[in-house]
Amino acid sequence: MSANWWQLTRIVAGREIVERARAKSFWVASVLLLVAVAAGVLIPALLHGTRSAARVGVVGGPAAALAQTVREAGRISGTTVTIVPMPDVAAAKARLRSGTLAAVLVGDSAVLVKQQALGGSGSPGATLGGALSEVGGLQRLYAELPPGAAASIGRNGIALPVRGLTPPPRGLTSRITGLAAAILIYVIILTYGIRITIGVGEEKSSRVVEVLLTTLRPTQLLAGKVIGMGSLALAQIVVLVGTYYALGYAVGSSAVRGAAGGVVLAGALWLLLGYMFYCTAYAAAGSLITRQADAYNATLPLQLPLLLGYVLAYTVVYSSNVSWFYHLLGFIPFTAPVVMPVLVAVGAAPAWQLALSVAITLASTVAMARLAGKIYERAILRTGSRLRFRQVLRSTS
Amino acid sequence: MGAGVLELNGLRRRFGAVMALDGLTFTVPPGQVFGFLGPNGAGKTTAMRAIAGVAAVDSGEVRWNGELIDQAARSRIGYMPEERGLYPAMKVTEQLTYLARLHGLSTPRARAAAEQWSERLGISGRGQAKIEALSLGNQQRVQLAAALVHDPELLVLDEPFAGLDPAGVDAMSEVLAERAAAGVTMLFSSHQLDLVEHLCESVAIIHRGRLVAHGKVADLGQSGTLRVSVQVAGDETGRWARDLGDIAQVEKITAGTVVLVLRDRADAGAVLDRARAAGPVEQFGFVRRKLSEVFRDAVGSEVTMGPGEQDNGGLAATGTRGSSA
Repeated sequence: MSANWWQLTRIVAGREIVERARAKSFWVASVLLLVAVAAGVLIPALLHGTRSAARVGVVGGPAAALAQTVREAGRISGTTVTIVPMPDVAAAKARLRSGTLAAVLVGDSAVLVKQQALGGSGSPGATLGGALSEVGGLQRLYAELPPGAAASIGRNGIALPVRGLTPPPRGLTSRITGLAAAILIYVIILTYGIRITIGVGEEKSSRVVEVLLTTLRPTQLLAGKVIGMGSLALAQIVVLVGTYYALGYAVGSSAVRGAAGGVVLAGALWLLLGYMFYCTAYAAAGSLITRQADAYNATLPLQLPLLLGYVLAYTVVYSSNVSWFYHLLGFIPFTAPVVMPVLVAVGAAPAWQLALSVAITLASTVAMARLAGKIYERAILRTGSRLRFRQVLRSTS
Repeated sequence: MGAGVLELNGLRRRFGAVMALDGLTFTVPPGQVFGFLGPNGAGKTTAMRAIAGVAAVDSGEVRWNGELIDQAARSRIGYMPEERGLYPAMKVTEQLTYLARLHGLSTPRARAAAEQWSERLGISGRGQAKIEALSLGNQQRVQLAAALVHDPELLVLDEPFAGLDPAGVDAMSEVLAERAAAGVTMLFSSHQLDLVEHLCESVAIIHRGRLVAHGKVADLGQSGTLRVSVQVAGDETGRWARDLGDIAQVEKITAGTVVLVLRDRADAGAVLDRARAAGPVEQFGFVRRKLSEVFRDAVGSEVTMGPGEQDNGGLAATGTRGSSA
């Protein structure tokens, strides 16, 4: 791999980038993906992110203690509270009936709501009322205790901690993010892969490859193509992930906090690994075809493993158990790019499994590049009908 | 062999039952317009692909400047493949610039060369057009520009005249002559024998993968059977030549001009004596064979040019091929 080797390869890669970036279809697809990612972040945030708000009346005193009770109850029940001081109980009841107040705290003695809930806490008013009642009750209890005991309870809390025997399952946000990552990885590898196949097929069928190969080695042409396309894919991944995080933080979405954010990073990593593994195979497929119409058929064997990993992802994301079969797919480089992010998303991929799977995929990428390079080199100058994989491996040149 | 000489030594290539190249050997000297002739399937394209490095041979070698041709040497080749090859959706100037850069030119030099050759070949107005939007003739000009844009030292052109209109043929001929004068070594194949005769200094004729004739066009025309053309005043039907059976045979008589094929070892002077005896001789001269005749003799009568074949018949000297597909 001399300096000259890289120089010519870079020129080839540069042409790929320029020509592809000029195509309208590239921008349409890129914008659609971007919109999909943005929607994936924004829509859940808009649906779930808005906290309910309520106005709470207070009657009697002391005003500071009552306000603290209301704020604490708001925090517990997930409600944004506005405190409205009321002159007397009668006025407060009138406002409750008209619906302009959600609840009324009467000193340290009672909580008034419009209608008591029938067991459970279906509505925000009911949960807020319940919280007011409990916080108010506790405040009254604290007041009865000697000063030392109250302080101790305040430090330790009164509830007993609950410890599970297994870690809690990943939240739905993380799981959905994993599924979305699987879809995007599947779509992007497929899109770029078929683009490579078509590009190679085009060079072969237009015979421009004959002119190119007087000055280039087949490996340079192949490497330039997959590196050029890969640079575009990488840029696209960066833009998509960047958009995801930027929007996520901007709207305070749960999609960027905790596990889901990690799932996105795992997805980006596996997209890159998956591209590297598959790109040379798609190029080899392109060298076997002579017409663009053959591109989809020739790449079908390459599409199926990812499709399998993606389809099975649904059974994993919506259940609490991950089958041994899905774990196995996580070690196979053909399926790992889609399977691993899903396993990460449901919290079923320990670090050793991640590391082993990455190592297997990287090693297989080298093996795949060698095999694909061999096929490409032998097939790219052979015209006529579509070539078969075995036929090419058996032949010399 | 010295600088600029292209040597083909014993090239062999078999495709299944077909022997495409069967020990093909000849040399191409630098600075000559050198034609490469042969009927369809003779192995011309296979030989040229082998020189360009896009087809393997089973045995034999190609030497350039006395050394085995390698990747570095091949970047100094300008190659025009038979089935043409350009990116259909790429713009003309960009495509030429790209190819020049792949042959080692810096970007500014590559662009300058692309523009220079576009101008030279009369396509400078179409620099921003995509190849697929050009007429076939103009695509052909771009293809030639693609072969020339890096100022190659060796030109290998497979049927460069196919598909060109007369103006294109003139432009192509001019460029080839100019490149040869500049010392470039050149090998181009053609079916248009009249054109080749007019343009080429030397030719190689191959048949069934083997060389059957090789040399300067002028020398080849004088080899083989000797012909003379004689006109005797007042003898419009060539009656005087009827009894020449022992020294020559009448080939044709046109308006009193008799073309005779001399018997082996016969003396042209004897013919002249007979003509003088018949009357005043108005014209007497040797007839040089046309290249098409040399070709016909060389490849033999078994060569047939079926209408179903892709190219026009090898002996159809003026036909142009419509499509390169």
